[in-house]
Amino acid sequence: MLSKELVKEALRRALATGADYAEVFAEHTLSKTINLVSTQTDTIRDAVISGVGIRIFKGTRCVSGSASSLAPEAVLSCASKVAEALAESAVLSDIVLRERLFGDRHPIKVVPSSVPNSEKVDYMREVCLAAKNYSEEISQVTGSFLEVDHNILIATSEGLFAQDRQIRSRIMISSVASRNGENQTGAVRPGARKGMELLEEYAAKELGREASRQAVTMLHAGYIEAGTMPVAIENGFGGVIFHEACGHSLEASSVALGRSQFVGKLGTRIANPKVTAIDDGTIPNAWGSINIDDEGTPAQKNVLIENGILKTYMIDKLNGRRMGMESTGSARRQSYEYNPTSRMTNTYIAAGEDKNEDIIASIEYGLYAKEMGGGSVNPATGQFNFAVNEGYVIRNGKICEPVRGASLIGKGSEVIMNIDMVGQNVARGQGMCGSYSGSIPTDVGQPLVRVASITVGGR
Amino acid sequence: MTYQEFKEAVIEIAAEMQIDDYELYYTESDATIVEIFKEEIKNYKIENSMGICFRCVVNGKAGYASTENLTGEEARFLVERALENAKSIESADPCFLHHKGDTYAIVNDESAVSKSVGTELVDAAMEIQKAMYARDSRVKDGSQTNLVCQEERYALCNSNGLDLEDKVCATLCYASALASDGEEMYNGGKSKIGNLRDFDLKSIASDAVEDAVSTIGAEGVDSGKYTLVLSNEVMSMLLNTYSSVFSAEEAQKGLSLLKGKEGEKIAADIITITDDPLYKDSVLKRTFDGEGVATYAKNVVENGKLVTLLHNLKTAAIAGVTSTGNASKASYASVVDVSPFIFYLRPVGGTKEELFEAAGDGIFVTDISGLHAGANPITGDFSLLSKGFLIQGGKKTAPVKNFTISGNFFTLLKEIEKVGEDLEFLQGRYGSPSVLIRNIAVAGR
Repeated sequence: MLSKELVKEALRRALATGADYAEVFAEHTLSKTINLVSTQTDTIRDAVISGVGIRIFKGTRCVSGSASSLAPEAVLSCASKVAEALAESAVLSDIVLRERLFGDRHPIKVVPSSVPNSEKVDYMREVCLAAKNYSEEISQVTGSFLEVDHNILIATSEGLFAQDRQIRSRIMISSVASRNGENQTGAVRPGARKGMELLEEYAAKELGREASRQAVTMLHAGYIEAGTMPVAIENGFGGVIFHEACGHSLEASSVALGRSQFVGKLGTRIANPKVTAIDDGTIPNAWGSINIDDEGTPAQKNVLIENGILKTYMIDKLNGRRMGMESTGSARRQSYEYNPTSRMTNTYIAAGEDKNEDIIASIEYGLYAKEMGGGSVNPATGQFNFAVNEGYVIRNGKICEPVRGASLIGKGSEVIMNIDMVGQNVARGQGMCGSYSGSIPTDVGQPLVRVASITVGGR
Repeated sequence: MTYQEFKEAVIEIAAEMQIDDYELYYTESDATIVEIFKEEIKNYKIENSMGICFRCVVNGKAGYASTENLTGEEARFLVERALENAKSIESADPCFLHHKGDTYAIVNDESAVSKSVGTELVDAAMEIQKAMYARDSRVKDGSQTNLVCQEERYALCNSNGLDLEDKVCATLCYASALASDGEEMYNGGKSKIGNLRDFDLKSIASDAVEDAVSTIGAEGVDSGKYTLVLSNEVMSMLLNTYSSVFSAEEAQKGLSLLKGKEGEKIAADIITITDDPLYKDSVLKRTFDGEGVATYAKNVVENGKLVTLLHNLKTAAIAGVTSTGNASKASYASVVDVSPFIFYLRPVGGTKEELFEAAGDGIFVTDISGLHAGANPITGDFSLLSKGFLIQGGKKTAPVKNFTISGNFFTLLKEIEKVGEDLEFLQGRYGSPSVLIRNIAVAGR
């Protein structure tokens, strides 16, 4: 992407005014989304993203710049502008770049950009058709196939020179069911750090039918009565509860600035003893996996909480300086235009010992949250929320009628204490997580869990 | 390669590949970003971003490709990708490239924002930051001030000879205050968009701090049905989230419940919603849309009646009307969609205090979160984490938090009882006064 000589000169220029650390991040990405409406291709978005982001540190102060170009003059000019903005006196030392190969834990079988549109369209058409034919109440379906071929180069004044190629694919299908002027929706969105082989793992018809099943189920559902109650949250995307209630507050981007409910809590009990939570960027071919993070640190498996005790935060280099702690391989950025900061990769609650049937049977009156939507959190106050896309009332230990329109809210530090039953069937779901450094792919996951008491927004 | 050189290369390749109908859409942006934490510069960033989208129409189908990499080789790759994509389109929808002949507004230079330099931004952000700490001893580290000065250029040219350019310059400020009573943390903020020299830095700081400290000690509320006053900011957020229901694109795809409702009553009589890309006080004025059609002001809802949906050239042709100039591109790389430019609910009358008075007992909702998941434009349903203040005996009283408000946007439009006078814009694009609505489900304790 960029020659070592060019990168070295950029680093040298970036350090020219007294920074103690410089970093060049270059990117060349191909990104394509094929969109179907009903069962026909409607639009195709097809982008090349190409540019450089340069950061320099002086202590905990950061100056950065970015430019939409990989032309040598643009890269060097970006480096000079960044240095000018720091404008202090410099002690220059020579940089020796050592190329490092971290290997590839996430082998790709078929690179999507090498395959013509028609193959992807044929698969997606089958998905959409199955969704459409599921029921007469399905009024519309939309589908997308998304592929990203993200090539990065990271070089630092510490001598690191590393590259990685991140290929990801995702299938997205959304169904609308309509009756008497009312709409309800359902969606399925599996993805992985994989190429075309992703399509072999999912039967197209099953994906389509599942999205429509959710929409039709919700169309015939009533509203849950608002209140505070026990909730059983299903595995897979249900892990969004940990991601929002706790995960974001454990990112150094919040902790280092004192904007987290978990500041100063290392080694103390912050969660129910049944909760062990892990952020693992090394899971082979997972949606949120990386070989190296966006500062060039190798991916790690970080046990965040072990049996309720806080073991570590997720840390990037700059915030690590504020905290006096090492990077945990957690620095991530959407693109060269964003500064990296600590973020999650694949985050999940580890398997416990409770049986699924015992979890449901333990609830006299409550909610069974089968499919989750996204959510958000304010890491400082810990106030979080997320949507339940498909829910059912639990009465006398039995799952009863479906309910719509529910959301779950609470304070992270309280809810994480209230997860008092943890099942055994861990599964993960895929999402796009939006925060300071842009929108990045992350997995969430868990087995079926019980939250003893949480506020359920309904009508 | 410069944009001009790249453009010429693309035009040559298009001719060689016998592509007669095409468009080039170009955006470039220069931004300076300052983030102050404690009283230090946490981050100072200089950003230059640029991108080009090539759209061709071949056999009646539109193919898109975009790039940030301006080389001769890339110019060819760009055209080839767009052509391959056009060949993969099956939709029978018509597609158009706009013709010359529109009259475009001339944006008054006096209203244009002057570009602020980095040192001015640092000084201003530092002043806000200091003022936040000085204002209240409960303000804690973690409070932060961000200032961004951004200049954006948009250019569109096509094979019909259209050649347009718009320039927008704005400074954005966000002061975020964190306060603590020793036990819990409370956050608040104030954002502003416009011209740095017009910003009242002291009042930005005090508004941000007030927003945080006024919520100290907030408690939960009991579940039940409540009368709500939604603050101007909250109503603007709802209008933003649900703006896609006014898109003819969404309606024609069966993804908006407003499909076929033109001319019908969809809201209370006091509701008038306008899209005005040339809004007088705005720094974000745009003279042409994502297809090069001249923009203009229009009421989408007038006294409760749906006057028109928002259209681009394609949706207008399908509906047999003319484009409302609302073709949009979320970024240069996006395919043409439909969205409003500067979209707001018209003020009617009455201060916040008068709305509280009319409410009697209820909740003044000042913040909602989780809109991307808790509010669904296809169904209209929402269930949102909220905070605010109790209204008791017609007066704003104690702070409350950790409750949800749940309902349906389409029902809400019909049941808004009062619209205040305090029109404010969110990020300069979506605006509303505070509104009063009764009988909304609240989940709390």
